[in-house]
Amino acid sequence: MLAAESNQSTNDVQQSIRALKKLSLDELLNERITIVSKTPEKLGQSASAVQVITGEEIQRSGATSLPEALRLASNLEVAQVNSHDWAISARGFNNTLANKLLVMIDGRAVYTPLYAGVYWDAQNVLLEDIDHIEVVSGPGGTLWGANAVNGVINVITKSARDTQGTYVSAAAGTFLQDAGAIRYGGTLGSNVFYRVYGQRFDGNPSRLANGDDAEDAWDMTQGGFRMDWYPSEINTVTFQGDFYGGGAEAVAPGDLTLNGQNVLGRWTHTFSEESDLQIQTYFDRTWRDIPGSIGQDLKTYDLDLQHRFPIGERQSFVWGAGYRLMKDQIENSPALAFNPSEKNLQLFSGFIQDEITLVPDRLRFTAGTKLEHNDYSGFEVQPSARLAWTPDERETIWGAVSRAVRSPSRIDTEVVSPTVVGDPNFDSEKLIALELGYRVRPAERLSLSLASYYNFYEDLRSVDEPTPGNRVLANHFKGEIWGFELSGQYHVTDWWRLRAGYNYLNKNLWPHGGINVSPSIREGNDSKNQFSFQSIVDLPAHFQFDATGRYYSALTSPDVPAYFAMDIRLAWHYKSTEISLVGQNLFEPEHTEFGTQQIPRGVYGKVTWRF
Amino acid sequence: MEILTHRIRHTWWRCWLALLALLTSTVCTHHADAQTVSRETQLKAVLLYNLTQFVEWPGSVFSGSNAPLVIGILGQDAFGRVLDDAVRGEKYNTRPIVVRRCQTIEEGCSCQILFVSSSESSKLSEIISQLKGREVLTVGDFDGFVRAGGMIRFTKSSQDKIRLRINADAAKAAELSVSGKLLRVAEIIRPEQD
Repeated sequence: MLAAESNQSTNDVQQSIRALKKLSLDELLNERITIVSKTPEKLGQSASAVQVITGEEIQRSGATSLPEALRLASNLEVAQVNSHDWAISARGFNNTLANKLLVMIDGRAVYTPLYAGVYWDAQNVLLEDIDHIEVVSGPGGTLWGANAVNGVINVITKSARDTQGTYVSAAAGTFLQDAGAIRYGGTLGSNVFYRVYGQRFDGNPSRLANGDDAEDAWDMTQGGFRMDWYPSEINTVTFQGDFYGGGAEAVAPGDLTLNGQNVLGRWTHTFSEESDLQIQTYFDRTWRDIPGSIGQDLKTYDLDLQHRFPIGERQSFVWGAGYRLMKDQIENSPALAFNPSEKNLQLFSGFIQDEITLVPDRLRFTAGTKLEHNDYSGFEVQPSARLAWTPDERETIWGAVSRAVRSPSRIDTEVVSPTVVGDPNFDSEKLIALELGYRVRPAERLSLSLASYYNFYEDLRSVDEPTPGNRVLANHFKGEIWGFELSGQYHVTDWWRLRAGYNYLNKNLWPHGGINVSPSIREGNDSKNQFSFQSIVDLPAHFQFDATGRYYSALTSPDVPAYFAMDIRLAWHYKSTEISLVGQNLFEPEHTEFGTQQIPRGVYGKVTWRF
Repeated sequence: MEILTHRIRHTWWRCWLALLALLTSTVCTHHADAQTVSRETQLKAVLLYNLTQFVEWPGSVFSGSNAPLVIGILGQDAFGRVLDDAVRGEKYNTRPIVVRRCQTIEEGCSCQILFVSSSESSKLSEIISQLKGREVLTVGDFDGFVRAGGMIRFTKSSQDKIRLRINADAAKAAELSVSGKLLRVAEIIRPEQD
């Protein structure tokens, strides 16, 4: 039995050598060192439920936007609400105003203090330039920034050194009406690399519950640049920025318009393999006008520092500090207002973490804490302890205990609307999370991961009605979420790869104190069962045949029936040209993923040149 | 209601604990099998073979018209069969490509590509000086390889990929012609920059 297995692995190696030999020199240098998960080793061994989506997997999925690409992370809940709104969360509490996720694009937190969430329509990235996306479900450990309660999404684009040359793409279709992108990468001297890009798309409207046109067609135009300077082996300087503008039609009272700009600088200094220092600063402005609701102008200034160094032979210590200033300016309306309309919010944060190797290559213990101070709830301590046991090279069992908080946002404290009023004393929502996971590579070509969790929440947001008709936000809910995430990757053959994931989630919320407490509908609408897969097939004669599919069981508050949707991509590439045909949301002419509006089936064709 | 909630919670706890138990038993019954060569080593092996396609050796280095192109490994061999697999059936122009494990530096001198294992790092300057005047492309993957006079070094990028560093002058001095294609994807450095 053992002999047969080792023969198998020899065959595996031979097959993988054959596959590698088919690659060009450029492609070889673009291959990651770690196989199957393509996870940098650091993450592969980490004691958390981390998944990595690679740029190639995004290309092969036919995704046209960042949220569509995030569907490839099976540990996320991703639902399209209408043409341009998305509900994305991890481990429950999904909603268009989901507020327990930290999302970063190249280290820049895309966070609105308005509701502690993300405006997904404003987060566009040239998908071609994404190196990989790390998705952590569960409290993201102590290292990540604020709001990493139920998960962290970290979008990492390629260094300009890896995007040299020209990329041009043009697409036209039904739900995606048209899209075009162009990027050029060049050098300035021998160690400065840059790229500039521009992209634009027009999306067609979604449909109302009765099948009528929802008249929410939208478009977005974006441009940007990135420069990577390697003055020496031990120093790296990155400078990047983006600007965007667009909007969505609305039946009444008017169209949504938005725009934004951001710029980021980062310096990394490497002292040794175990020690480095990183300093990062960014400015981000995002503006939107939602007629009949609010207008918002948010300017974020952020400075972060992180330093890692070893202590003795067995400890790796990392500490960091950050400061963020958010200047938020709201244009109030009778339907929705914030008092005060303008607010400057400061966030001070610091963290320390020590990773101790108890038994070399076998047992690691990591403990750390984050300390934050925000303007609403003051000091917040978020410690975590993690243990990873690697009985052999192929498997890791890990467990973690963490505390995390979702600090108050403007909507919790300052909202004034005819239906509900915020509470100036609104407190943080608190989580104690227990996690246990197992990661294994039973064969060279197969990797599996199981992450289970038990989350206990206190002071969750509630809507209290102390006197009839007088509804106020408060912290009068407790809750627990229990579930597990199973995911795997299988390189069936050199030309066929499969990825799949299954999530099971159970949620129970109950009132605790308060008067006439009802659950806020904002606290999420989650599927109990969720399954997704991706299949990537290289066919002969330069053809590719890829498919992704996803199943979500029914939502209950409000009701959304279960659905299974599938995307299929057929592509042909030769030298610098690639032609692809993609069908999205096949099987049904339209279906609802969240709320009431329906997402129609879509087909698009795309031509890409890379030279 | 309160009792019901409590019971549900209790049940969930037990489910969670059951899952723990299940996991633990899975771990205990699983036995790992034979070791496999790391992805990194596989990539390096294929890159070594690829180098033969981007470097030209003067015809005089080969003893006959059918003499093979030899990739030598000096020092501890991390590649095992992987490198042999990578070159099997491959040709340099019309010449077959073979792998030789070199016991001595002299043996290394008769190769066209010599991969110097990190086990030889302390002897590197001696190796380089003995190879002087020979048309041997030296490749290594450890710190200071190019600084000490080596020609190509495999390094790891922060994005978990392999990068090539080339001392083009050293290759030129050995009368090797390195194609522009290879130079374009590599980092061209002077020895002191390594």
